Amino acid sequence: MRIATDTGGTFTDLVVEDADGLRLFKAPSTPEDPVDGLLDAVDRAALGLGLDREGLLAGCTTFIHSTTRAINAVLTGTTARTAFLTTAGHPDILVIREGGRSQPFDFTLPYPEPYVPKALTFEVPERIDATGTIVRPLDEAAVVAICVELRRRAVEAVGVCLLWSVANPVHERRVGALLAEHLPGLPVTLSHALSPALREYRRASAACIDASLKPVMSGYLAGLEGRLRDAGFAGRLLVVTSQGGVMDAAEIAAAPIHSLGSGPSMAPVAGRLYAERDARCRTAIVADTGGTSYDVSLVRDGRIPWTRETWLGRPYRGHMTGFPAVDVRSIGAGGGSIAWVDAGGLLRLGPHSAGARPGPACYGRGGLHATVTDACLVLGWLDPDFFLGGAMRLDRDAAATALARDVAEPLGMGLEPAAAAVMALATEAMVGAIEEITVAQGIDPADAVLVGGGGAAGLNAVAVGRRLGCRAVLIPETGAALSAAGALMSDLHAEYAELLVTASGDFAADRVAALLDRLEARCRAFAAGPGQDALESRIELLVEARYPHQIWELEVPLRPRAPGTAPDPAAITADFHDVHGRIFAVADRASGIEMVSWRARVRCRLRTAGTARLVPCAECAAPLVGRRRAWLAGLGWLEVPIHRFEATAAGLEIPGPAIVESSFTTVVVDPGAVATRTAGGGLLIHHEGSADR
Amino acid sequence: MTAPDGARLAILASRIETIVRKMANTLFRTARSGVLNSGHDFSCALLTADCRLLAAAESLPAHVMRGPDLIARYVAEMHPELRRGDAFLHNSPYHGNSHAADHCLLVPVLDDAGALRFWVFTKAHQADCGNAKPTTYVGDARDLYEEGALIFPAVQVQRDYRDIADIIRMCRLRIRIPEQWWGDYLASLGAARVGERELLALGGEIGWGTLAAHAESWFDYSERRMAEAIARLGSGRRTVHTRHDPFPGVPDGIPVTVHVAVDGLAGRITIDLRDNPDCQPCGLNLTEGTALANALTGVFNALKDHTVPANAGSFRRVEILLRENCVVGIPRHPASCSVATTNLADRVSSPIQRAIAEIAPGYGMAEGGPIFPPAGGVISGTDPRRGGAPFVNQVHLGFTGGAGAPEADGWLTLIHVGNAGMCRLDSIEVDELEHPIRIHERRLLPDTEGPGRFRGALSMRVELGPIEGSAMRVHYTADGVLNVAQGVLGGGPGSPVGAWKRHRDGRLEPQPACAGVPLAPGETIVSVSASGGGYGPPRERDPTRIAHDLAEGWITPVRAREVYGVVVDPDGHPRRV
Repeated sequence: MRIATDTGGTFTDLVVEDADGLRLFKAPSTPEDPVDGLLDAVDRAALGLGLDREGLLAGCTTFIHSTTRAINAVLTGTTARTAFLTTAGHPDILVIREGGRSQPFDFTLPYPEPYVPKALTFEVPERIDATGTIVRPLDEAAVVAICVELRRRAVEAVGVCLLWSVANPVHERRVGALLAEHLPGLPVTLSHALSPALREYRRASAACIDASLKPVMSGYLAGLEGRLRDAGFAGRLLVVTSQGGVMDAAEIAAAPIHSLGSGPSMAPVAGRLYAERDARCRTAIVADTGGTSYDVSLVRDGRIPWTRETWLGRPYRGHMTGFPAVDVRSIGAGGGSIAWVDAGGLLRLGPHSAGARPGPACYGRGGLHATVTDACLVLGWLDPDFFLGGAMRLDRDAAATALARDVAEPLGMGLEPAAAAVMALATEAMVGAIEEITVAQGIDPADAVLVGGGGAAGLNAVAVGRRLGCRAVLIPETGAALSAAGALMSDLHAEYAELLVTASGDFAADRVAALLDRLEARCRAFAAGPGQDALESRIELLVEARYPHQIWELEVPLRPRAPGTAPDPAAITADFHDVHGRIFAVADRASGIEMVSWRARVRCRLRTAGTARLVPCAECAAPLVGRRRAWLAGLGWLEVPIHRFEATAAGLEIPGPAIVESSFTTVVVDPGAVATRTAGGGLLIHHEGSADR
Repeated sequence: MTAPDGARLAILASRIETIVRKMANTLFRTARSGVLNSGHDFSCALLTADCRLLAAAESLPAHVMRGPDLIARYVAEMHPELRRGDAFLHNSPYHGNSHAADHCLLVPVLDDAGALRFWVFTKAHQADCGNAKPTTYVGDARDLYEEGALIFPAVQVQRDYRDIADIIRMCRLRIRIPEQWWGDYLASLGAARVGERELLALGGEIGWGTLAAHAESWFDYSERRMAEAIARLGSGRRTVHTRHDPFPGVPDGIPVTVHVAVDGLAGRITIDLRDNPDCQPCGLNLTEGTALANALTGVFNALKDHTVPANAGSFRRVEILLRENCVVGIPRHPASCSVATTNLADRVSSPIQRAIAEIAPGYGMAEGGPIFPPAGGVISGTDPRRGGAPFVNQVHLGFTGGAGAPEADGWLTLIHVGNAGMCRLDSIEVDELEHPIRIHERRLLPDTEGPGRFRGALSMRVELGPIEGSAMRVHYTADGVLNVAQGVLGGGPGSPVGAWKRHRDGRLEPQPACAGVPLAPGETIVSVSASGGGYGPPRERDPTRIAHDLAEGWITPVRAREVYGVVVDPDGHPRRV
């Protein structure tokens, strides 16, 4: 038996996989000590399976954990007291950052503080140039003096980033050795070893964030593992990474930066499988709807696009690591987003959110503001008696009162049209978020299926899909726990990279061949070590390349090559043109290219493909539950048929308007759309006139 | 859809916002030159058929608030017959544009019946525009002819979605590194065509009449918000003076006088720029577009409410009075406007911020640091690593300049007021890889802030020079050596810009304000950016902020005591003296 958990802001999702299939469980998250909520979810699962906690964990071979512990520590500033060592003359790398701002007229916000205070930044006398040549030798005595100061200042971790350490790491390595010698046991991260990429701010930021997380994450993971072992767990503990894979808990403790995007990175892993299986589509937009955020990721022709530009926190105000990760863009739009009317009479949604606590007005937990969830309840889209399968009763009157006061009356419109407008505005915000990432990654939504994850996805996924002109909308059977389901399917992985700048017209074939041999050897060592139990291992080689004068690189997979040989630069150039054309719609085929850094990824598949289907639900046999009054734009109040998601037979067509609901989710099928349960268990919705119909 | 205004307005405004953002993302991702895809020095906007600004995405205020409207009007006048597939290249400073290096593309959006419905606009700062010298800011050009840029006054560059090759050939022969220009042209065109396609889809879906009605409602809404924001300021008048440093052609510098009148009851602001000198024989003259846009930038910066939409509706509440043949007004051909986006432009917006702070304490801002330090200039030369290939590009290495505001310290990477910090700063490693240069130092300088209750951003020092075997030139046009950023409401002034050449023997030689400094291997240029002015009396600064600045090394203990009146005990607790 395998277990995957995803700790979110509101709920902790848990998915159990055994020979029968998957089972979903949810328990409220416990931010003070997330492991409590996780063990609550374990207990619920044990209860559901007629076991106790020990019995469940004893039968578990693999426990996959995704956690917001690292990102929360960064965002709340509760990481270790960290120092930054930098090249002399460049002490303000973390202060200056890369510039940029998003609101030109907003001068009320302070300039962000550097990740490591300037007071804990130390200049190391040394300099290496772009070719890797030592311009100024390392002053070791100065480094030793810095060590004394670090001890005096009670520093708990150190990030080291020297200019051009990616071209020649000798100085960074020597600084690392001196730190180890003079401050044994102090957690240190060297930038070239962690993230061998161009751009000193991102590398410095990555090194400092990684170092600062080491004490936190090793403590957290040791605590988690200890409590699981005490409860009888004897299997392998894996942690979900930002790269859409898993790593052993001990590896994460050694390089915790990998766990910053733990969770959201898994939605596209699951989305890819379901889009291919249920909608026969290799391109997907995966939208995960939570209580406070809407996370969008992609699948492009079966591959999940990555980015180096993930912000921790708000753009230009948070931090950026330049560390490769699954491209997930988030906006603050979710069930808790607050609707209001401004002084000019304009309907607004957010940026404030009622979150999980106090939550929407209808939760009856003291929330007074009108939220998206309240709008859905007023419209009859949500059943107040069947929210989370009846686990929580919603107060429709409270929702109506809040919406009338905050939205309908100021706008001078009726309650239901006001609620529908809130939903339409939420839909537009989501469409905007999706267009940001699809433009950046060069995907045409018309080629994609929109996969809706999260319990609230189905409320307007059909509307979002229609706006974008997507081929279809898919709500997978496990959509309410998409990330946890993805974690079960994910591979063990590692990535290695080196910088080597060369050009197609003057290709450093011998050096490239040797470099790729080194990277591949490291991948093979990983496959033979942590990956030794894997069913299969795959190594992929990539290069980051660009046209001359371009500043940003694109990732191009390399064609297979024999060991000891260099790839053909003409082939790389041709492939680069194709990638550039696909992402940016233009390619300059007359131009040569420059290649900057080289990467190797190893992925080790840990299990045979399961069914990824839910275990059939015994108590929900009736496919058609009845009818409910629901309000739809342009139609008003209607008696709408309510279908039970789990009990709907495969192939049955449900024309809109209709509502399809389960204990975990509610799908509104708009007029003009048709929903069909797929053989894979998902609900696939097409619009009239969409290409697939 | 039958929802009344407030709801429907929000939804359509969001859809239009999504379209301009999509344009901006497309341009950013596909641009070729560092100025665009690293520096982010471009803007995208949508205008109504009658040439009013409807929406702009994350753009430089000085690029788009006004100017695109004037350009669209000029294109419409020159080309009364418009067809789908047309595109116009425009950079004329005498017809709405900023400086000649900002290449604009205008695409008319015509419905199926051939009626003009909207304009799509992009503006992108080129790495080179064919000037006589390898820089896009020729401060010492006595006129347009000496400046030397290719000027495109509403020149048709596409017909039926195909390039008019004559124009492309002209650019390729005159613009340095033509491949770079070509790549940026394609990126701008791609963005404009994306905007056109999306607008056509939107108009087709909801109807052009509905969309036009939406635009009017959106303008009305924006105007209401603006009137309300101005009402909060109360009423008052101020006349403020400032001065651009002496420059080639203007040995005494250029005095600038701005009359600002705020009428809170009527919700209106009037900015009068007519009381200023005629056009001068240098590249500093503003264009009509930059004079209007920078006056508006000063006003919007001062409102302390960034949620007021900046478009032709809110602009109705601001009257800006300009005069023909005025250095901060409407230039007369062939006056040179090569530096129209930065130097004197800030001498318009900064004093307005200060005037409004004086009229309405708690609003407005201090003055931003004047630009250009050499580390923001244009570098050029030949690259020994690439077989002596020529290079030219603006570097964004060493700007700061943020002014103290009513509730926050100056934004460190403001660059300058008209830029609003929207452009990126360069990575040391990327610049050293791209160009045959070494950046020896980049650091912030303590005690350089304009002190205040909220202080200005610090100055940044950058030292750079060519690598072995290379020779280069750094062109820059520095204001702010003599006339620094002023503080407001008791806030102190910022620190000056600095430029020195370091010779092989280590000797530092001061450099002129406007120069193209040649550097041989072993020589470097030392650049110091101007810092921003302070807002409010420094002695009213929150002591915990002073203690923080001290701990971080942004100020020294002497300055804390003498300027801010605070000493910090050894245990870190601040104490007033």
